[in-house]
Amino acid sequence: MSSFTKSAQQWATFARSWYLIDARMQPPGKIATMCSIRLQGKHKPIYHALSDCGDHVVVMNTRHIAFSGNKWEQKVYSSHTGYPGGFKQVTAAQLHHKDPKAIVKLAVYGMLPKNLSRRTMMQRLHLFPDDALPEDILQNLTEELPQPRAVPRKLSEYTQEERQAFPTLWTPPEDFRLK
Amino acid sequence: MVFLTLSNWIRSRGADRYWRVQEVLKNARHFRGRKNRCFSLAVRSVRRAFVYATKARKAKKRGMRQLWISRIAAASREHGMKYPVLIHNLVKSNVQVNRRVLCDLAITEPRSFLALAALARARQQEGFRAALGDGKEPAGVFSRFVQSH
Repeated sequence: MSSFTKSAQQWATFARSWYLIDARMQPPGKIATMCSIRLQGKHKPIYHALSDCGDHVVVMNTRHIAFSGNKWEQKVYSSHTGYPGGFKQVTAAQLHHKDPKAIVKLAVYGMLPKNLSRRTMMQRLHLFPDDALPEDILQNLTEELPQPRAVPRKLSEYTQEERQAFPTLWTPPEDFRLK
Repeated sequence: MVFLTLSNWIRSRGADRYWRVQEVLKNARHFRGRKNRCFSLAVRSVRRAFVYATKARKAKKRGMRQLWISRIAAASREHGMKYPVLIHNLVKSNVQVNRRVLCDLAITEPRSFLALAALARARQQEGFRAALGDGKEPAGVFSRFVQSH
């Protein structure tokens, strides 16, 4: 591509795709990797770090993300205000209660390259705590990405027949007292 | 002093201080601040710049390879395959296409790249079948390396 005749050839299309990700019951880290790849443009064969070829990503249902293990209580988000004694530490549950978009936002922010384009990429990330999206964003959407994890069914979503047909691990004895 | 004989030219002294200074400043003219005109500042930064240039000649090769790999990874993800899977199976199929050419194919000839990705996928399936004890080749794609001599 370095010949003189092709020097003005353009690879970029000057258009940005808008991807939609449903974060319901998904691990925030998995959502953040999907976001950071698309915000950087690393899903395109024409990727270059300086060419600003990233796309927009819309993440909905960030309120309903799912941490595995005991991360809600044990994962700590630390910050410092800059003043003496200004070291703040909040658990994931507290932070999520305060701002339902913060956990996904911090996860994506940490996964983006630490350079001047990080803020620009973050501006192309649109987070929504629920599944209500504004009309102007709905019009831009081009593609919905598949969820990285299969959403497990709740017990309340099983019908009575399915519950009875579920294989039992052990047969309770006659005098077993169920709560 | 005028040299009338050619053999005396050899004895003439080298370039004097002015020209030695200019040799250094020539490389520093685009630098910022007084470094582009003051010799004692320029000589340090020129030396540093040459060290950087020497290192960058190697780093450029490394960086280009990283760029090719990230582009090939993006293109192979489009066909539902991870980069290591693609490369590993292309190597096994004896496809002698390096990363620079693969990257060019991914950008300018997506169909050719798709063909290579299909080949790698077939080779992968073949490997899976061999591992499971069923050594049949997948139908429709010829992926096994044939000795030509």
